[in-house]
Amino acid sequence: MSDTRFLDAGTPPERFARGWHCLGLAKDFSDGKPHAVEAFGGKLVVWQDTQGGLNVLDGYCRHMGGDLTQGTVKGDEIACPFHDWRWGGDGKCKAIPYARRVPLRARTQKYPTVVRNGQLLIWHDVENSAPDMDILPPELPGIGTDEYTDWTWEVLDVPGAHCREIIDNVVDMAHFFYIHFAFPTHFKNVFEGQTATQYMNSTGRPDKAGEGYGDENSILKSVATYYGPSYMINWITSEYKGFITEILLINCHVPTSQNSFKLQFGLAVKKPEGVDDATAEYIGKKMTKMFGEGFMQDVHIWLNKAPVQNPLLCEEDGPVYQLRRWYEQFYVDKADVTPEMTDRFEFEVDTTKANEYWRAEVAENLAKKKAEDDAGAGEGADAGTPPIMTGT
Amino acid sequence: MASFVPTDPHTLEDQRLYTRARLVEVSCLDCLATVGVKKNSEHHTSIQWSSDALRHCPEFARMAARPEGRDVHEGCPRMVASIEAAVREGKIPIGAEDGY
Ligand code: FES
Ligand SMILES: [Fe+2]
Repeated sequence: MSDTRFLDAGTPPERFARGWHCLGLAKDFSDGKPHAVEAFGGKLVVWQDTQGGLNVLDGYCRHMGGDLTQGTVKGDEIACPFHDWRWGGDGKCKAIPYARRVPLRARTQKYPTVVRNGQLLIWHDVENSAPDMDILPPELPGIGTDEYTDWTWEVLDVPGAHCREIIDNVVDMAHFFYIHFAFPTHFKNVFEGQTATQYMNSTGRPDKAGEGYGDENSILKSVATYYGPSYMINWITSEYKGFITEILLINCHVPTSQNSFKLQFGLAVKKPEGVDDATAEYIGKKMTKMFGEGFMQDVHIWLNKAPVQNPLLCEEDGPVYQLRRWYEQFYVDKADVTPEMTDRFEFEVDTTKANEYWRAEVAENLAKKKAEDDAGAGEGADAGTPPIMTGT
Repeated sequence: MASFVPTDPHTLEDQRLYTRARLVEVSCLDCLATVGVKKNSEHHTSIQWSSDALRHCPEFARMAARPEGRDVHEGCPRMVASIEAAVREGKIPIGAEDGY
């Protein structure tokens, strides 16, 4: 009985991670209206000022708690719908139209903003530190120009899981086979400083072949890096029968409570030479749909799995303990970040045995399928969008 | 202060096993870097760097200075060669112990 292993659910942290968080595409906030964003256990208000800058404040007015996201943009300020107090992007109350003077203490929670690669990022830190510009995700050359399609953007609600679940996937080699029907042939992780990277080469699974990308002829080379706790850039080169597509995938999330988060992803395709804009857009939309299916496969797992602080690993698994050690740095005070959380760590997963077993499994499935087809019991064409997944 | 707090004391031992157990020191044959290495199998390699070791490595310095490159680098080829040499000399035991 004492040999039985138990899951340690652990207790999740009360705080939300320190770092840059992406709220969405900048253009979606630039219509002169206030926007509500659920984040960090509350609600934020986002609006554009007359200079074109994007501002983010806590969503509730410090006067009597009015909902600023239902207010109005007046000049550079957001005006509360309750008593018209005017709040500036610097967090200060600029005017109270019916009052002799504005109380000096009229300051609310503001979130420093940066627009990077066409996306709105905000700095969050429970210690209220100045935003660390040195650890912003890098600018992506070509994005926002004619070289790439415009970002697509999708939001998925994950109502019952801590966002560390999505981080764990960075090291999860085997789930790409079982959940995403991919076949990882090379898999390596590097953690260093604020970044955590997954290198993965994979092909499709012929026994799960959907049209186009699901099969063996689809070769993906993927480098996916988290810049801080929530924002991943995934450089993907997809090769299909000699046709090469370069894709940039952003996978990011905003925690909404200790047990929920909003997952967002967007993708831009480098326009292939000789391909017109409409076709490039079409490829981008199709890829977005396929990755969407991939993310949904993950979401389904997260919403049903148990939290586990003490995962039991086999030799073919990735370095989940080291990844979590890295992730801890965003949940402790800056002064409590230890060298082992940020020291460089490399881990190459041995995929040789797994590949051998998986090849056998795929062959068996194909044989079964053929036997069924020969017997005329084929379930017909597999409808729906085939999934594709890297990074997560 | 840990942020995700385990509720079972055995979890701390698991953390130690997976992150720190069985790391063998390997020194680079070309620079002053020394890292901790674990090999669960022939094709698996785990490399723990320290900031000291990283500072000594000229390859990472070179890669960081390359203006066009991405800011994360897969590894140092000289360290990889040094680890392979250590394996050939039998200095690094190959094989996992019950998965770690
Ligand atoms: S509650 Fe906002 S102005 Fe009164
Ligand atoms: Fe996944």
